[in-house]
Amino acid sequence: MANEILEEHINSEYKWGFTTDIETDTFAPGLNEQVVTALSKKKNEPDWLLEFRLKAFRHWQTLPEPNNWAHLTYPKINYQDISYYSAPKIKPELKSLDEVDPEILKTFEKLGISLEEQKRLTGVQSNIAVDAVFDSVSVKTTFRETLSEKGIIFCSFSEAVQEFPELIKKYMGTVVPYTDNYFAALNSAVYSDGSFCYIPKGVRCPMELSTYFRINATGTGQFERTLIVADEGSYVSYLEGCTAPQRDENQLHAAIVEIITHKNAEVKYSTVQNWYPGDKNGKGGIFNFVTKRGICLEDNSKISWTQVETGSAITWKYPSVILKGNNSVGEFYSVALTNNMQEADTGTKMIHIGKNTRSTIISKGISAGKSNNSYRGLVQIRKGATNARNFSQCDSLLMGDKCGAHTFPYIEIKDKTAIVEHEATTSKIGEDQLFYCKQRGIDNEKAIGLIVNGYCKEVLNKLPMEFAVEAQKLLAVSLEGSVG
Amino acid sequence: MIAEKTNTAQVIIDKISSTSSKVNFIDNDKLSKALLYLENKGIPTNKHEEYKYCNVDGIFKKEFKNIEQKLNSVTDINKYKLNNALTIVVVNGNYSEKLSDKLILKGLHLNAFSNLDNDGKNLIGTLANVESDAFVALNTAFCGDGFHLKIADNEQLQMPIHILYVSSASAESLVNPRNIIELGKNSEATIIEEQINIGDSKVFTNFLSEKFIGENAKLNSYTFQNEGNNGYSVNTNNITLGRYAKYDNTTITLSGTLVRNNHQVVLAAQNCEAHLNGFFSTKSNQLVDNHTLMDHQMPNCESNELYKGIVNDKSTGVFNGKIFVRRDAQKTNAYQSSKNILLSDDATINTKPQLEIYADDVKCSHGTSTGKIDEAAVFYLNARGIGRESAKKLLLNAFAQEVINKIEVEELKEKILNLFENEL
Repeated sequence: MANEILEEHINSEYKWGFTTDIETDTFAPGLNEQVVTALSKKKNEPDWLLEFRLKAFRHWQTLPEPNNWAHLTYPKINYQDISYYSAPKIKPELKSLDEVDPEILKTFEKLGISLEEQKRLTGVQSNIAVDAVFDSVSVKTTFRETLSEKGIIFCSFSEAVQEFPELIKKYMGTVVPYTDNYFAALNSAVYSDGSFCYIPKGVRCPMELSTYFRINATGTGQFERTLIVADEGSYVSYLEGCTAPQRDENQLHAAIVEIITHKNAEVKYSTVQNWYPGDKNGKGGIFNFVTKRGICLEDNSKISWTQVETGSAITWKYPSVILKGNNSVGEFYSVALTNNMQEADTGTKMIHIGKNTRSTIISKGISAGKSNNSYRGLVQIRKGATNARNFSQCDSLLMGDKCGAHTFPYIEIKDKTAIVEHEATTSKIGEDQLFYCKQRGIDNEKAIGLIVNGYCKEVLNKLPMEFAVEAQKLLAVSLEGSVG
Repeated sequence: MIAEKTNTAQVIIDKISSTSSKVNFIDNDKLSKALLYLENKGIPTNKHEEYKYCNVDGIFKKEFKNIEQKLNSVTDINKYKLNNALTIVVVNGNYSEKLSDKLILKGLHLNAFSNLDNDGKNLIGTLANVESDAFVALNTAFCGDGFHLKIADNEQLQMPIHILYVSSASAESLVNPRNIIELGKNSEATIIEEQINIGDSKVFTNFLSEKFIGENAKLNSYTFQNEGNNGYSVNTNNITLGRYAKYDNTTITLSGTLVRNNHQVVLAAQNCEAHLNGFFSTKSNQLVDNHTLMDHQMPNCESNELYKGIVNDKSTGVFNGKIFVRRDAQKTNAYQSSKNILLSDDATINTKPQLEIYADDVKCSHGTSTGKIDEAAVFYLNARGIGRESAKKLLLNAFAQEVINKIEVEELKEKILNLFENEL
């Protein structure tokens, strides 16, 4: 019975699927050294950066296509069919929001991140500074001035390259080298923009920083980089959101996020990933291949990843933490929801190197429709990581009998003082749970939302307030009618 | 890279082809497939996902550079026999009628592969797919004269069967024992399989067993591995269960430089159940890798796994278990647990407990934990006048006994407990 009710509702549509009609400056599809060089010239980059891109590109060419170790099936990607640069035709220097193309502003308003409103609300405490990335370039970063009073740098990656080349040179590629994997090499060669954030010594960032990614142009890929450096004793909470128009084609998103924390610093990184997942039959949707990694470089530092993954046709993403400093802490909280034909292979890596390092992994997978949802994670305790501690919990919820939920944890322990625990369960929403809600006048759809939100509570609680509300709504929408 | 891989397999093929006699019980089609698979895929390295923590190719290159196949004949195995069991002896991969007991039990039939009729021959390789794994292929290409053991319908064997796989060589050698065990419907049997190396040279044992457990039949199976430093083995067990059938296996590994157990259970009919238990204790530079697959194909089945290990010195313990629940296998209950204790700074534990689930109305869970000896428990015992060393022994013993006590053959249990306690 429940199955039928649930299936009835699977028809919910992607609500962010509109396109914005603006003039763009787009490269012709194709990838070779000339394209990489042209991209670098376009961004007026210093020689060392061009050199970095070329090295990455040459390395990428030597790499075989990733063999299918992940539990994913997707068609071969033709890297020559993608345009590697697309930017709204805007004036290079923007002093105020008035100068931003109104169409773009409208887009962001539709997405619920009104830059206009942000501006007006200046001074209100619960503000979020936004760096909005439209296709390949960052269009506007809000609150830059307010932040710079505290010495915080928050700007687009391209600006950072021009204004703070020494910082970029020092940190870029130190956590995710271009040799890391196929998509990291590709990104390092052709990344177009992204965000850069530096929190100076002892500063607690007064507001949440946020990047909003939007793919708009057709036939393009999005390759952005985020680099966050938290200096001694600093703190920042960083949010990332993303959407894309509804299209029949598959678009590639291959990003890199690097986080570096110095002594006593803490970075909290939250993502609500809602790229277009494709239609019910699996047509279209974003291929999301992202390398996210942080390093707790020095003692007592902390990196926390929280993610709510509801979008993308294919998700391949393992936000990781290298716990190098003694007493450092790594956290990973994840909700991954797949519906229809979506496939997700996501998880984390916790590499314990320092002494007394701790890590926590809480992963909640929900699969509905004909989707496949896998948790893949590595907990590695290196020799000498005395008293390392890890706790992992990976739960899966299956809705319907056509989907799959999988758990692939890898646990490697080389220190006898380590204590590592892992547990995983698989369950479904029971008839009795639905019946209980129904008795109390809660209809099936709301009941499912309620149960799923309860199931994800541990993770949703870790999100900043504004995001938590959005995430809850998103889960309900993505699930409409899919429970069994 | 590919050339490199082929190399090891090719070396093995060249070295043993000359000494192994042509067998008549593996059909030519399987034989050529096996050789082709070996040539193409080679012996797996740690790049192979299923052998990520068990680089057999590397071990072959290092430890079996000169395979000479100098196998010894064995004349006396009396001291390894159990008092209260029927013994079947396999020497260097070949069934030995001379050393085995007379099989006087009612309902028990045994045939060497070389004496099988066509129906019997056709059973060989039905569960172990030649193209699924390099060691299945290797065994298929070069297996010795194994045996087919059948327990007739409705028969309950009154005495355990003790199968002793003896290897003995005076130079680096490779042996490929193989068997088929068939339990007719409503039958019941207890089978102990023990591996020993009594020669003075390294032997690589590539063991393969296919077990068919018929409707409502029950197999209590025990595997005891204690081959010492000269023992290297890959052991493949392929089991299939009929309706209401039950399979219990307890695998105890106390020594062996390399022990890799591939244990695959197919729950192929409704209402069957399987239980796998394992305990290993490793020292020096040993590697023990328990690799299990519970393949739930039909509804209403149950599976349980409990694997425990103690690793010391520079040794490595691996547990890789997969619960695979297919679309049709609704109402599956599957549990998996792996617990490990590290005793030294150079020891390693790698675990990979996996769930792959395609049915929604199931209860599946796994848990794994790795840690050191509980200091609070040691203190508790210290406070009661038990010295630190004794307390540790006591705790390790208790840890091991959760698995060892599952052995219902008293004689075997006592033997294993004694050996384990002496090692501590």
